[in-house]
Amino acid sequence: MLLKRQIPLMIVIGVGLLTLFGNFINNEAVRGFVDNDATQWFDIIASFAIFLGALNMLKLQLIKIIKKQKNWQYSILAVAGFAFAIFAGFFYRGANFITIADIQDGQLAIVSGIIAEELNETNPYDIKTKIMGSQDEYEIDKLFMTEGNAKLFMEKLTPFVGVINLKSKPWGAHVQTKGSLFYWMFINMITPLGATMFALLAFFVASASYRAFRIRNFEATLLLVAGIILMLGRVPIGNLIPWWVVSIMLMFGIGAIAAPFIKERKILLGIVSGGIIIFIIFGTLMGWNQTPPALLSIPIIQDWIFAFPAMAGSRALMIGIALGIVATSFRIIIGLDKSVLGG
Amino acid sequence: METIKKIFIVLGSLDRRIIFIIVGLSVLIPLLKPEWVDLPIRPTPESQIVFDEINKLNEGDKVLLSFEYGPSTKPEIHPMAIAILKHLYAKNIQVYGFALWPDGNFMSTEAFSEVSDDYDKKYGVDYVNLGYKPGGEAVIKGIASDIRTLYPADLQGTSLNDIPMMKDVINIEDFDFVFSLSAGYPGSKEWVQYACDPKNIPLSTGCTSIQVTDIMPYVENDQIRGILAGMPGAAEYESLVEAELQKMEISGKPGEASGMMAAQSIAHVVIVLFIIFGNISYFITRKKNRKG
Repeated sequence: MLLKRQIPLMIVIGVGLLTLFGNFINNEAVRGFVDNDATQWFDIIASFAIFLGALNMLKLQLIKIIKKQKNWQYSILAVAGFAFAIFAGFFYRGANFITIADIQDGQLAIVSGIIAEELNETNPYDIKTKIMGSQDEYEIDKLFMTEGNAKLFMEKLTPFVGVINLKSKPWGAHVQTKGSLFYWMFINMITPLGATMFALLAFFVASASYRAFRIRNFEATLLLVAGIILMLGRVPIGNLIPWWVVSIMLMFGIGAIAAPFIKERKILLGIVSGGIIIFIIFGTLMGWNQTPPALLSIPIIQDWIFAFPAMAGSRALMIGIALGIVATSFRIIIGLDKSVLGG
Repeated sequence: METIKKIFIVLGSLDRRIIFIIVGLSVLIPLLKPEWVDLPIRPTPESQIVFDEINKLNEGDKVLLSFEYGPSTKPEIHPMAIAILKHLYAKNIQVYGFALWPDGNFMSTEAFSEVSDDYDKKYGVDYVNLGYKPGGEAVIKGIASDIRTLYPADLQGTSLNDIPMMKDVINIEDFDFVFSLSAGYPGSKEWVQYACDPKNIPLSTGCTSIQVTDIMPYVENDQIRGILAGMPGAAEYESLVEAELQKMEISGKPGEASGMMAAQSIAHVVIVLFIIFGNISYFITRKKNRKG
């Protein structure tokens, strides 16, 4: 119990108080701890957390496969993907490159031509200039995924150069290097899969809003009107919507808001259609076709919604969350909330 | 009248597969044939502020560019990264790439390799890519106090002491501007809270559309100088940068986001139409049910 509860709790309280009061104490050692040491400790713990997270994911997926739980087939894909990423990260580097030196006299043009052909460069002279400008050895600007492919290309160059070497980018750096297996996996597998998952949202949003976005009451109407204005106002097509369309939308919006309070539907219809007609006649007489008022411009209405109602709601949320964080942190620091210790 | 009602009822009860096909086509056709839909791009005041802030930086200034997005949000944020890099390179500003997300490493590598050669920029002299460290806000706090304790080497494993442009850079106070390309946590908010606001370093952001309401309070308070809001923000910034590059007589490829705005516009209109049809159908059906 002492090791599981009391000591961790003392560490939480000690570090919490020190970090909190560190901001108010003008002492070099305390400042150094808060600004440097504590953040480095956090980084180290975060690195271990990634490791633990990976192991936990693997454990859960393997248990699912062994016990043949629901949709266990997908877990095979998850484990295979994990294994492939480990293989590409730790066991197979790729990212092979070739360096050349000591080019035989009179062969520089031939070598430049071969390299230019491999790199799909139209002008071998650029390559020639780069080779001549290189001090010790020239690194050919192409990375090969496999050593076999690199060696095939080396065979073409070998008769014309004195020194030719096959090298690889260092471990660790290879992950970020074009031509490594890991980079290939990220760009050709993870990127399209991630983009596809996010893109599917468009379809679900369309389908869900079609079925669920209904004018059932006042709040739903407000939400719908604001949603439509934001959707149109955020994109360039919003600029092209003429004032009379906006005025019709505005009258429909007013009608929808007033609908619950007007029992007689004919009166409501009369108000909405009359309003539209008056609006259009008035606008035409006022010359709104040439200079429409800002009030009837979708992007400007959208800006107003963002700047006032949305901003007010967002600030209220932020203040609420901040107060919640302060209260929770204080409970943890004084040892009232022990949920962080687990169990 | 009855026929019209029937048509609306049918339109209001479409199978979801038909909706998917219509949405798919509304995105696909403008992407394949962008010349069919030519829409004017109007920079919002927030995008203009971002542009003006970057445009007033001087040659040789240092800008920290933080990559906090991944493949899922790449279509929205990556065009911003490209346009920002073009703008910074054209003004001969030194760029320091950091990543708060593991995926950010790949995004930064791709962005730098896409633009740097076109502007004849040298690694270590004009730009550097320091990459990702785990820890979220702790990394930001580390960058604010001492970069070398967190980043002894860059993404390629080269010691920071061997990189010429890192010579005079110790912490965030050595930067003239910070730009956060953010798709969530950790991101722009954390840059405000742990680095830019306490150290008084100007910060701008480019984020996904769904984040805009969260970030706007900071923009209104001037803690963040302007915001590029989602793909429209990227398109607006591209148009501003292209105009500036033309002024500087620098030619280049057009940005991706501007070409995608037609697709996004049409898709939004289609969704709005679906909502309208769905509601008309709902009212007609409800009225019928009440009568019946």
